[in-house]
Amino acid sequence: MAIAERVEKPPLPPEPPAAAIPLIGRPDAHRRKLARLGWMFSAPALVVIAVVTLFPIVFSVVMSFENVNVTGSGYQFNGTTLGNYNVILNNQTWRYALGFTVLYTLITVLVEIILGTAIALVLERLTHGRGWMMALLLIPWSLITVISAQLWYYMYDPSYGIIDRILHALGFGNPVILGTNTSAIIALMVADVWKTTPFVAIIVLAGLVMLSSDVYEAAEVDGANGWTTFWRITFPLLRPTIALAVLFRVLQAFGLFDLPFVLTQGGPGHATTSLAVLGYRAMFQDLKFGPGAAVATSTALLVVLGCMAFLRVFKAQVGSEGN
Amino acid sequence: MALKKTRHGWHRYINGLTIATTLTVLFVILPLLWMITSSFKGPKSIATSDLLPNPWTTVNYHEAFTHYSFSRYILNSVVISVAATAIVLFLGVMAGYALGRLPMRNKLPLMVALLMISVFPAIAVIAPMYLIMKQIGWLNSYQALILPYAAFNLPFAIWILRNYFLGIPKEMEETGRIDGASPLRTVWSIVLPQAKPGVFTAGIFTFTACWTEFLMALSFNSENNFRTIPVGIALFGSQFTVPFGTIFAGSCVAAVPIAALVLIFRKSVVSGLTSGAVKG
Amino acid sequence: MASANKRFTPGLPGRRATAVVAGGLAVASLLGACGGSGKSASGATSNTTAGSSGSSGTAAPSGGSTAPGNATSGSITWWASPITTSGPDPRTVLIQAFEKANPGIHVTLVSAPNDTDTNRAALTTQISGGGGPDVYMGDVIWPAQFGAHQLAVPLSKYLPSSYWSTFANGLVAGATYKGEVYGAPLFEDQGFLYYRKDILQADNLPVPTTWEQLMSEAQQIQKKGQAQYGYVFQGADYEGATCDFMEFLADAGGKVLNSSADKSELTANGDALKALTFEQQLVNSGVSPKAESTFQESQAMDTFDSGKSAFLRNWDYAYSTSQASGSAVVGKVGVAPMPTFTGQSQPGYSNIGGWNLYANPHSKNLAADLTFIKWMTGTDAQKILATQFSEIPTNQSVRTSPDVIASNAVLAVVPKTKLVPRPAQTPNYPAVSQAIYQNVSAVLAGQKSPQAALSAANSAISTAVSGGGL
Repeated sequence: MAIAERVEKPPLPPEPPAAAIPLIGRPDAHRRKLARLGWMFSAPALVVIAVVTLFPIVFSVVMSFENVNVTGSGYQFNGTTLGNYNVILNNQTWRYALGFTVLYTLITVLVEIILGTAIALVLERLTHGRGWMMALLLIPWSLITVISAQLWYYMYDPSYGIIDRILHALGFGNPVILGTNTSAIIALMVADVWKTTPFVAIIVLAGLVMLSSDVYEAAEVDGANGWTTFWRITFPLLRPTIALAVLFRVLQAFGLFDLPFVLTQGGPGHATTSLAVLGYRAMFQDLKFGPGAAVATSTALLVVLGCMAFLRVFKAQVGSEGN
Repeated sequence: MALKKTRHGWHRYINGLTIATTLTVLFVILPLLWMITSSFKGPKSIATSDLLPNPWTTVNYHEAFTHYSFSRYILNSVVISVAATAIVLFLGVMAGYALGRLPMRNKLPLMVALLMISVFPAIAVIAPMYLIMKQIGWLNSYQALILPYAAFNLPFAIWILRNYFLGIPKEMEETGRIDGASPLRTVWSIVLPQAKPGVFTAGIFTFTACWTEFLMALSFNSENNFRTIPVGIALFGSQFTVPFGTIFAGSCVAAVPIAALVLIFRKSVVSGLTSGAVKG
Repeated sequence: MASANKRFTPGLPGRRATAVVAGGLAVASLLGACGGSGKSASGATSNTTAGSSGSSGTAAPSGGSTAPGNATSGSITWWASPITTSGPDPRTVLIQAFEKANPGIHVTLVSAPNDTDTNRAALTTQISGGGGPDVYMGDVIWPAQFGAHQLAVPLSKYLPSSYWSTFANGLVAGATYKGEVYGAPLFEDQGFLYYRKDILQADNLPVPTTWEQLMSEAQQIQKKGQAQYGYVFQGADYEGATCDFMEFLADAGGKVLNSSADKSELTANGDALKALTFEQQLVNSGVSPKAESTFQESQAMDTFDSGKSAFLRNWDYAYSTSQASGSAVVGKVGVAPMPTFTGQSQPGYSNIGGWNLYANPHSKNLAADLTFIKWMTGTDAQKILATQFSEIPTNQSVRTSPDVIASNAVLAVVPKTKLVPRPAQTPNYPAVSQAIYQNVSAVLAGQKSPQAALSAANSAISTAVSGGGL
């Protein structure tokens, strides 16, 4: 597959080392040495990750293939089964939650990327006050999600919420924002965009400032206007960064949990029940750890497949070694 | 806020982009302002949409710090988040550099595996993690949160750092190598400074993730002395009452360290990014 | 998804997975316990149990205490969520009084999250992981689920029937699952009708005893402009909507489950339809606000507190909240038993809420736990709860004692009320309740007809009680 080929290509320029650095032996030996160095550098991180995360994840995956009974004396595994997956595949709520989560992810990530990039482009041109702006923008992101959900819940309140009052003043009557499916979903998305657009803005900004200013000067000499400069020069160079932002926003959005958990409890009805909310309910409300683990495992698998598809479509910019 | 005149003329800034951004920034700021003013509202005006508190009161802040041990929660959150972030940045920079710049085999499976780990829903790993913590006697300790936070945030940090290392001109390392510097030194003193924005990004996101994590903190540390801010705030109020004022007061205080962190490190992001690049 | 299944099926049956884990983990002892207990391929009889390794697992109640509830020494932890919002903390007041009466026993308070679901999640994680507090305060709807999953000690194995007979009628039955009592009722809660004394007086109206009367009085009051709304209650998509619906349903003569709690009896006609249609009418007629489908306790409370509603259905705490600073109705609030439908015997039903004390099967000091539980449900502690914190005592003698009744307007009404529990006798109660509140709330939001909602609820409940579904 395309990404694999790209990644495994040697990242170092093949020619210069041998010619320019005679101290270091033949290119092949040099490469092997660098590869060994690479493993040495990454080993500590990989070990920490493996030691901490492998057991819980494998445990969960195994649990999704087991008849699990949670008891005071532990998690009893009563035989391997595909039943948990059968349960979720035949469950209407799971299918709805899958559709909802996908749609939610697509819309919020799209909006956030557009707004976040716009903010980053403007921030990048600020010579003064950039740090202050960044600090300010990062506050919504740094708020504990449960609390930002409480804040929106407070603002959406049907009798004294400021947003309810504003909508009322704008002639929307007495909207019950969290009371109908469509408005509750929109309300949830607004809260999400509010919290995470700054995340995207900061990632894109960090990518922007790393671009050489030479390219802009060249563009200015050419007399290109802002829009053309952006599409012809900035955007292509920013693609790896934007791809990274999209990738991680997709991962987070797909794991959507705290926000609906506090704001709507997944309601009204199932309207805002995400996969994670569904999995949480199965595990911690109904103590059905088998189906709950199946929801979690299938979610993880679906996201990774989705991300890999995305990387392919996005020309594997994240996986490639730059240009 | 002055704008660089050199790159484009002033008229460039009265355009769609700036207007859209201003609106977005307002959209970001207004709810924050609402939270701040509401945190100064007393019991009479908290359940109203009055624009300003009437009267202004600090009773909510007083409540957070006296009725609950909020200062202890802040201390715990700081210790845990700082330690986890330090671990993530140190290990993440090395791994990110290796995966970005060095000719290792099987990078793709490794990167995808890392992705998979950062994707796995947190709700599903709490129960097995608790088993481990119980078994090794780490319940109610700082390390019970520091290590999991570090491990679960490392994959993202590695991805993001690797991305920024990819963007650094390759000549930099060659310079180091010619000078005979050790590989570690090359990374630390030559490559790393170039990737400051990436390190900043990874750092701030790790710190924020640790600062706001709830489920693990709730499950592993039940002693008050080891509880963090998110768990502490979940103890505010009682079954049927949501004390919005106290909650907002707590979160206003909790936002200060993050803002301070960004302000302290803003110089490293703003300056010296492109100036030091070697000429091809 | 099919490919996903294929991909995992051959690779990860239990034992190989544990082997993989063993390679990567420094938690050898855990894995020893986990892998070593030998998960046989046939698997039907031998269970692999991860979590309780040796000591903690078997240290569960061994009955070693010969005189249960009479321990004189030890140190235990008590997990309890905050009971009140401000003022002295009832939990520490009770602990201090307990330690004074039992100088040998030390109790450490562990404050639990306010949100009941979060609270339960934290507890189940800890207890099934082999840890957790010694004694915990838990919701009255937990006994069946916690009993079925052995997350609580069957207290009736240790405490005699003479102890259980000290409680007010019906409370112990609610804490019983399959013949064992799992929770000792600490304080009770129930629905009350709160009304505006001043308005009723001005209009010369009696306190309503039937729903029909409440509705007509409310409309009269609204027409005169004395209050924007007539009646506010809990109709949001959450547990509270189940509580309120149970009251309407019981008043109409209906019920949710059969007596063995394994079959739905909630049909889309008759009593249930009458109850739900009335709830719908409250909103449609404008007696209750349009936003009723998003109202939890706090929204209903705020509306009433700000003087916008003539009547309120809420729990015990609402009286003192309505008389606290910030309220616009101080001195204007009366409390009464719930109304019922015309033609039914009065008063109407009040749904049972409140909290029980449970003991953790992993507790190392069950004897001290029992002493603590016994003391907390005894007359001294119950008096403190009632007179200092206006909680409803569970102890029958305290509940009916004149000084308790005289201490608070709500407590004076308690003996006149009639109680109905939620259908929590099934371990799958959370899913049953979800089926109820989602559909009730949808009716209030105008998204479903009462008939459609009831038949949807009925089929969801049937799936839930059989343990199916997600």
